[in-house]
Amino acid sequence: MVGARTRGARTLARGRPWFLVVPALAVVVVFFVLPYANLVSMSFLTPGKAEPYVAVPTLGNYVSALGDAFQWWILWRTLKLGFLTTLVTLLLGYPLAYNLARASSRMKGLLLVLLLSPLLVGVVIRSFGWMVLLADNGLINSFVKHWGLAPQGLKLMYNEFGVLVGTVHVYLPFMVLSLSGALQNIPPDLELAARSLGASSTKAFWRIAFPLSLPGIFAGSLLVFVLAVSSYVIPVLLGGFKVITTPLLVVQTAIDVHNWPGAAAQAVILFAASLVCIGLYFKLMNRAMRGLSA
Amino acid sequence: MSAISLTGLTKRFGSVVAVDDLHLDVRNGELVALLGPSGCGKTTTLRIIAGFELPDAGEIEFDDRRVTELQPERRNIGMVFQNYALFPHMTVVQNVAFGLEMRKEAAPTIRARVASTLAKVQLTGLEGRYPRQLSGGQQQRAALARALVVAPDVLLLDEPLANLDAKLREEMRFYVRSLQQEVGITTIYVTHDQAEAMVIADRIAVMFNGRIHQLAAPQEIYNRPHTWMVAEFIGLTNFIEGSIVGRESQLLVIDTPMGTLRCEGSTTDTDAKPERLIAVRPESIQLSQRAEGGPRSSDLTMNRLQGVVRARAFLGNLVDYRVEVASGAVLRVQGDPHAPLAVGDAVEAAFQARSTWSVPAREERVR
Repeated sequence: MVGARTRGARTLARGRPWFLVVPALAVVVVFFVLPYANLVSMSFLTPGKAEPYVAVPTLGNYVSALGDAFQWWILWRTLKLGFLTTLVTLLLGYPLAYNLARASSRMKGLLLVLLLSPLLVGVVIRSFGWMVLLADNGLINSFVKHWGLAPQGLKLMYNEFGVLVGTVHVYLPFMVLSLSGALQNIPPDLELAARSLGASSTKAFWRIAFPLSLPGIFAGSLLVFVLAVSSYVIPVLLGGFKVITTPLLVVQTAIDVHNWPGAAAQAVILFAASLVCIGLYFKLMNRAMRGLSA
Repeated sequence: MSAISLTGLTKRFGSVVAVDDLHLDVRNGELVALLGPSGCGKTTTLRIIAGFELPDAGEIEFDDRRVTELQPERRNIGMVFQNYALFPHMTVVQNVAFGLEMRKEAAPTIRARVASTLAKVQLTGLEGRYPRQLSGGQQQRAALARALVVAPDVLLLDEPLANLDAKLREEMRFYVRSLQQEVGITTIYVTHDQAEAMVIADRIAVMFNGRIHQLAAPQEIYNRPHTWMVAEFIGLTNFIEGSIVGRESQLLVIDTPMGTLRCEGSTTDTDAKPERLIAVRPESIQLSQRAEGGPRSSDLTMNRLQGVVRARAFLGNLVDYRVEVASGAVLRVQGDPHAPLAVGDAVEAAFQARSTWSVPAREERVR
């Protein structure tokens, strides 16, 4: 009975293994490949008056986007915010992840819940939470003013700092999870072995645990960078349309200016620029991780 | 090289006492095996000596150097872990050189010492390999090289052969022993494998529940166990319960359900605690076809029991019998594979009083 069932399952798997990927493949094609192909092809079409675009091929969208110093500057700010978010989440997240990976299993459960609980609240709600804290007459500023620390109050919101606070908060769990995954795979015996060979705990960390956690740093940084560069809600709420990033510009161009092909071209440019950054990073990490992978 | 001295070492984890007032002196250049079942505290003891755990009480000395609270990196130890703990992102050479780099040795010195140590463990030619590109045995030797290259005062081995397959493990026992002899380093070797401990150790410390029950040479541990736990843990043993009724020359006379038996045994405190367990090794019992009505020997240095063979298993180099004796108890007997004994045969089981050892009965808690 058991044998027969096993044999049946095996023939099924052997006969039509591709069959099993069809649902996933369909989802990817319908919700990712087709829209993206549509976006890319739209970016090479002429903007229309009444309709989104007219089917006349042109490079004009790219020419005007790449010729616009303002758009370059927006792109630069977007990438800079992405980079800063990545850096700060890495610095804040690493000690967190290290302790998470080394915690006892019961403690680990509790810490994971604490880490992930912010994800249960939507980005919008969390951004509003930060607005309560960071606003000109918010909690922090009323405290600061009351104690005379800065009579003018501090400019904490509707600037790049406010956006950075938001993105760091929202994307920190992704960094911590990637890092702790990698750190958890490092046997604690390795650091003890280094200690037994005469390395101080600091030295053991930098020579052993840190290099071995590079794949986690790589994965987490990639994830956070991509998320931060493409984030829309946080810059809108905490930047208050004063901190324009490329995703905001894309939406404005499409909705307000009604220039869909122009917006598509901007989106493709952001995509290409991110890809270049990731490529450079990949090269850098590959050098650092020589010998780590099989 | 240093002698190691542990005095009153105690370590608790919550309410569990992992190491309980442990005393151990390891002589300079000696190899002592800490042997015991899992959870007996042997690995914790090793980790305390290495400095990975701090003891709740007690002292650790390397020669006259008190190291009890010293950080591991300042103890000058060499340690080999069960999973080797080779640094996966470093080549064999980088792994072995690590300890010397930490000691800020000059580059030419490092090169020379790494090369000579790798030659000693026969890893020359594999310098550029990463640990994952080595076989289990090669990883094992790389870990030994990494521990030995720094010329440590003591070598600590935590089940270093446990992850090797059975055949290689047996070879490596002799290899580790000869390497230790060649270097002449004081070594503590943690294992749960009694055969490994017997082959490798000058002395074995048998541990249960955080305490050393006996510290002695392998032969002594096997033939003269101090406690029933030691007797039960090491090899196969038939236990016969009884109580002391007298003494004849150097032999104890013990009354058992199988009749009166004579044996040796530690004679301390036997008046207060006459209850004993006689421990008879299966290979020290001789079986012979019972001669019906023949003259009974009156030799009192020989214990003789009448019984019937109930089971017989051929194991190649010996035959394993189960013999039911008059009291209904069953004795394990291992003997000559050529003996013509079959299941159901009436036999006489004989064992020398002098080769029979007795230990205090189970109730007694032994320090």
